[in-house]
Amino acid sequence: MENIQKKSYFSSRKTRNRIVNTLLTILTWVLISIIMIPILFMLLNSFRSRTDIVSSTAPLIPQVWHPENYTKMWAAFKFGPLFLNSMIVVGSTTAIATLIAAMAGYALARFRFPGADAYSLAVSGTQLIPGTLFFIPLYLTFLWIKNNLGIPLVGNNLGAIVLYIGFYTPISIWILRGFFASIPVDLEEQAMVDGTTRFGAFFKISLPLAMPGIVSTAIYIFMTAWNELFFGYTLGVKTVPVGIRAFIQGAAGTQLRYDYMAAASVVVTIPITIMFFALQKQFISGLTQGAVKS
Amino acid sequence: MTDLAIKTTPKNTFGRKLHHYRIAYVFIAPAVIFMLLVHIIPTIQAIYMSFLDLNTRTLLQYLRAPFIGLEHYRNIIVGITSGTGDSLIKGLGQALNNSIWFTIWTQGGTLLISLILALLLNREFRGRGIARTLVLLPWVVPTFAVGIIFQFIWLQQGGLANRILFSWLHLVDKPISWLIGPNTRTALIIPAIWNGLPFQTIMLLSALQIVPVDLYEAASIDGANAWQKFKSITYNYLKPVIFTTTMFGVIFTFFGFGPYNIAVSLFSSDNLGSFNNLLTIAIVRQTFNNQLYGYGAAASVLVMIAALIFVGVWYTLFRKSLISD
Repeated sequence: MENIQKKSYFSSRKTRNRIVNTLLTILTWVLISIIMIPILFMLLNSFRSRTDIVSSTAPLIPQVWHPENYTKMWAAFKFGPLFLNSMIVVGSTTAIATLIAAMAGYALARFRFPGADAYSLAVSGTQLIPGTLFFIPLYLTFLWIKNNLGIPLVGNNLGAIVLYIGFYTPISIWILRGFFASIPVDLEEQAMVDGTTRFGAFFKISLPLAMPGIVSTAIYIFMTAWNELFFGYTLGVKTVPVGIRAFIQGAAGTQLRYDYMAAASVVVTIPITIMFFALQKQFISGLTQGAVKS
Repeated sequence: MTDLAIKTTPKNTFGRKLHHYRIAYVFIAPAVIFMLLVHIIPTIQAIYMSFLDLNTRTLLQYLRAPFIGLEHYRNIIVGITSGTGDSLIKGLGQALNNSIWFTIWTQGGTLLISLILALLLNREFRGRGIARTLVLLPWVVPTFAVGIIFQFIWLQQGGLANRILFSWLHLVDKPISWLIGPNTRTALIIPAIWNGLPFQTIMLLSALQIVPVDLYEAASIDGANAWQKFKSITYNYLKPVIFTTTMFGVIFTFFGFGPYNIAVSLFSSDNLGSFNNLLTIAIVRQTFNNQLYGYGAAASVLVMIAALIFVGVWYTLFRKSLISD
């Protein structure tokens, strides 16, 4: 008697668990669908006509597709040079900032040098300085360097590269320090006993071992620099965000070209999407691992 | 040769120590140079600037502009707290208020939804890998494009929100104007949450994965229900991550340029109405359009002090709970 009761209790609990589980899975997919909506709608709008986008009765799935939105947008935004500039600025920033941050992160992880604590405090302290504070003197300093030393830091890609390296190095040092700390020193020491220099040990042994961290840091820098609008705009650099902003503001007062804007949004998202999903595994594990360590 | 060697011989003079670690200084040198150039030197200049009457007339004198001490600070603090300031100060006070609420809603919303998502995605179900990838998608959209694509959602005519609420479900009796008036608050908070979800979800998900499963099993045997298990086990593992991500989230939402990018492209202008006049946007506009550089620097210093106080309070509030683990 008792046995039977127990059995039915368990089986009813099992069915209840199964129902709850199914409901939770449905909820998961509903939430994910909601999150996807803005992206799907952007893709859809990039193929719709401008009049359809601002009509409350036009069908959401276009009856006539307009792939020419992309080519027209490319011409109207003068997108080619913008894209090239962005690639140069963001690409150089990513390469240089990652290397510099790796070196500094390595030093912080390996040596208890005098000033290490102060330095690492300063590194995180930079994140508490609002951009609105240091921007004006920064601009004037860059202008001064341009006028007096002849290094074109204003109105030139170089200025944005220098600025972005300064911007994104501190956070990258944070992420990478955790990585180097988790790599055993024995391998480096062995190599150095065998006659390799400290630099050699860093480049040949530690850097390859920290590759997941390097990759995630690089993606992080690339994504953030690709997004940067305000400082690039004020420095007079013609990157993609700056160009799009200029186009939209140039159209202020008139009807906005929503069709072009949708196409442009898709195009600017593509490079990051490709890189992100190609390297997703390293990126996620790298970022979370570094964060947990530091 | 190695670090251990120096640690076991403590009787080193400072100079010898510096010499011993010279390689470390070589390694940090490039990062230090950029930090000095981009952060430290400009910040010191800016703090000094905040004591100067630096505006259009005195711009050429730059750091030799008339020294007025704490005048800007006095004007801002007295103006905001007593409500007697000029239109500039009133605008700043309004922006401060907007930014505080915007930060609370955005960070609160992001944390709540990402927590739900992380818990859901941590379960075993078919297609989990795909679901975990799809949830990252909002992250790859650049912030200035986030503003653009949410325009399509909020357009009064043809926007998706009004189609759903008005045309399909008839929940409202006329199309809502999302991009003008008080609704602009919602129109800005939702894209900001949407954009911040993936990062927070990934961080929480990775923390969930280190929770030992046997803790749950033991709790089940003790008869704990789902909420009790969450409170006494899961939350302890999530706390350190929530501590860090929310701290930076609050700071970057409060004075960062992410919300600036979203807002400027969402409303196609940096001249935002009184509901979305956030701190960063207000300071940039007041400083540059009116060329009040000294005043702008003082306002920014106050923002930085607010951030420092926040970090201090945040640490004191959470330090105990972090150590007790």
